[in-house]
Amino acid sequence: MKLRIFLVVLVCMALAVLESVIPFLLHLRAARADLLLSVVLYLALHDDIVQGAALSAAAGYLSDLTSATPAFLYTFLAVLTFVVVRMAGSALKTEGGVQSAAIAFGASVIHSIVASMLFGFVLGVGFHLELAPLLWSAFGTALAAPFVFAILGRLDSGFPKAEGAVQGRIR
Amino acid sequence: MRSLLKRYRELIFVVALLAIPFSVFFVKAKKAREMTFLDRAVVALIAPVERILTGIAFVGIDAWQSYLALRRVREENVALRRENLRASTTLQQAAELRLENERLRRLLDFEDKQSGLRLLVARIVAVGASPHSHTLRIARGSDDGIVKGSPVIAPEGVVGMVSQLTGSYADVQLIVAPLSYVPALSQRTRSRSTVHGTGDISRCKLEYALRNDDLHEGDVLVTAGAPNSFPPGLRLGHVTNVQRKPVGLFTAAEVIPAVDFSRLDEVAVIVQPAAKPPADGIAEAPAGATP
Repeated sequence: MKLRIFLVVLVCMALAVLESVIPFLLHLRAARADLLLSVVLYLALHDDIVQGAALSAAAGYLSDLTSATPAFLYTFLAVLTFVVVRMAGSALKTEGGVQSAAIAFGASVIHSIVASMLFGFVLGVGFHLELAPLLWSAFGTALAAPFVFAILGRLDSGFPKAEGAVQGRIR
Repeated sequence: MRSLLKRYRELIFVVALLAIPFSVFFVKAKKAREMTFLDRAVVALIAPVERILTGIAFVGIDAWQSYLALRRVREENVALRRENLRASTTLQQAAELRLENERLRRLLDFEDKQSGLRLLVARIVAVGASPHSHTLRIARGSDDGIVKGSPVIAPEGVVGMVSQLTGSYADVQLIVAPLSYVPALSQRTRSRSTVHGTGDISRCKLEYALRNDDLHEGDVLVTAGAPNSFPPGLRLGHVTNVQRKPVGLFTAAEVIPAVDFSRLDEVAVIVQPAAKPPADGIAEAPAGATP
């Protein structure tokens, strides 16, 4: 399983690079896919709790580091997303495709709203949310989610399923 | 106790993973991020890959643009010759104006406050990964003399400030970031205010502009200048959406940044020069010493 953890972290790093290079090269202002959020969703729907939460924290940490936002905002949000999606459990169970895109769209919208609220209130700059960039970003995340799910699904097919994976609740 | 811990270990682990990052974020949110050893190691792994990818993409873009340019080169050649003729005339006039400017400066005993500053051109290698971030990553770092807070500019105006850096890379916080505050001056009236980022990449908020200031739509704002900050006179943007309130001290307005942050390829970092050695290598005599 250590190899799987290493490979998932490696995928996260590759996605973090893509997430920061592609919008720059394509001059994208708003439609920026949150690839690491898709990783967290995949982990919440397919991984066991301890490993999934830890890997979600790692994905969030990478997001934090490549965004230069206040420390650990996205780490916290990644674990929170993992927990919430995990609790929704079997209702959201998906192997990819359109379903994963729909889940990614919803998760991205909620993630952006919670991030803006936390950022605004904790930093004392007030709640500021632009609807158009939020929806564009969610759209980009939804488009990218099936690909991220496919990459991680392909990676997981080489490993036996972890005991306790996807039970839809935290014991 | 041990059996209880064992029973709820998953719950405890997840709660700890939620509580620790939130506590750190809550406590340190308003402070500038200090990069740890792990942060530096991860950036050292990621940033060169970003740089290589960006470099490869730029080579491809350059090649394609060169091909397109070749196709248009004949017509452009004629147009450029005409333009060159006009430009050389303008150049002569500009040279004359420069000489006149220098003469006037000497006359007014004007000291160029920016002459002691060094501009370091830096290539952008990536933007902030999160859709909510307002940062750029540049391929220059503390090894090049950049420090946290170094101002970053583009030909159009102010870009932002260096917020975190490693030896070879630096992250630039744009002026539209919610944590950014830049002291500003109206170019027309010289009235002071502060340009505050809102998180919206296309506009900032104008704060502390006095209600009786003669502020108009389209007024150009420049940096007011402050120690260890932006030098004075750099273009920030122009004023829009001025809302005069019947009561209160200040006028509310918005600022459209002079720079289109989504179209930047290169920026310049303003670096404070190192302390100059004494002239001609002669050591300064210690205080009280006699020649």
